[in-house]
Amino acid sequence: MVFNPGETNLIIGRSGSGKTVLLKSIVGLHEVDSGQILYNNRDFTSMRPRFRKKLRQEMGMVFQGGALFDSLTVEENVRFPLDMFSTLTTVEKQKQVDFCLERVNIIDANKLAPSEISGGMQKRVAIARAIVMNPKYLFCDEPNSGLDPETSMVIDELIHSITVDLGITTIINTHDMNSVMEIGDNILFISDGEMCWVGNRKEILQTENQQLQEFVFANKQYQRIRDEKIEEG
Amino acid sequence: MNIFNQTGRYFALLLKVFSKPERHSIYIRQTFNEIENLGVKSVGIVAIISIFMGGIMTLQVAYNMTNPLLPTTLIGLGNRDSLILEFSSTIMGLIMAGKIGSNITSEIGSMKVTEQIDSLEIMGVNSASYLILPKIIAVVLMFPILYILSVFFGLIGGLIVGPAVGAVSATDYLNGIQTSFNPYYVTFSLIKCLVFGFLIASISAFFGYTVEGGAFDVGSASTRAVINTNVMILVSDLVLTQLLF
Repeated sequence: MVFNPGETNLIIGRSGSGKTVLLKSIVGLHEVDSGQILYNNRDFTSMRPRFRKKLRQEMGMVFQGGALFDSLTVEENVRFPLDMFSTLTTVEKQKQVDFCLERVNIIDANKLAPSEISGGMQKRVAIARAIVMNPKYLFCDEPNSGLDPETSMVIDELIHSITVDLGITTIINTHDMNSVMEIGDNILFISDGEMCWVGNRKEILQTENQQLQEFVFANKQYQRIRDEKIEEG
Repeated sequence: MNIFNQTGRYFALLLKVFSKPERHSIYIRQTFNEIENLGVKSVGIVAIISIFMGGIMTLQVAYNMTNPLLPTTLIGLGNRDSLILEFSSTIMGLIMAGKIGSNITSEIGSMKVTEQIDSLEIMGVNSASYLILPKIIAVVLMFPILYILSVFFGLIGGLIVGPAVGAVSATDYLNGIQTSFNPYYVTFSLIKCLVFGFLIASISAFFGYTVEGGAFDVGSASTRAVINTNVMILVSDLVLTQLLF
């Protein structure tokens, strides 16, 4: 499976299909039993811990629940990776933090604790923290989980626009078909831990794959869209 | 077999904890935060418990000294040596295992189940070292200080209660606590405090760091951490007493 830079790559599948295990294996939170994970031809699976640590600084990840640090404010959360690893001055770090928070449309919440902001804002802060080090790879584990449809769309568009603007490789786990159809450039469908289908959002509506059909068209809305697109030719 | 597995995992975690920090200034700042959270904020409870226990022990020694040939200065002496040798080190250690230990386990455990630890690892931070090392340093530094405060407040407790109920006069009590003082007792107890502090912080952190599941499992881990820490405190007390006395 190849995930393309500058594109929003989606891993889709039912709950329990292995999406999160796959994503966590790609970032090294789970050790793999076999196979290789290559980052621009660098073999992550056999890398020594100190090289993995360096490569990890090129990654950003947005977890399902946000995973913001409770004891830090919004601003401190976003600044944390810079404090740990960058050689920027305090002023430069603050500029970068302000830029990232502005990029995700977080205004006037810098001094608040994560518990004082909404779920949608927490996800946006998590995205800001994930991009503050200008990563090459962005991973998102069900970023829309627990959000209302309108906020989900905002998060999807935000992630997609960041991917395009920064030219990074983004991989998103989701079972939300709306996300697939709105932002999915490259889609991988997995079932019971196995890769079943690869394609894009145009091809997905015309798939012959039985399992994927059951997944996509469980929602009657997409049955209608498929039928309309087939009619349009 | 489970105990061997857990012991192995505990030492493996300690190896990870004692690694070179990514940014020393951040770790130093964390350590001072932990000194305040775990040490300074424990002074109140240490003072309250020690004052009451000092008073109670004074009364118990006084009421059990039925032989009129025994001088009443022994009451102060008995209270002092009980505090220095065992109460302020071992008993306070057991109490602090509950207060500090459960705090550490539930904090780290909550971070584990909400993926905050995974998020640290993804950033390239050694999460074990960042979260646990400052706590270990803070508790090891603060526990001897809490011990000294406990001895002080325990003696004060005896001084207040003894004369108040007529068990011993203030003069006799004060003479008693100065009689036959052996400074080695304090040295011995301070060594115990260093060991107990390390056990409290490291064992509690281990149970928090290795928790799997949700809120219920965090609570369960907290209980197990306290129990295991208490057992280890008592075992190490026995070993150290045998070695150092």
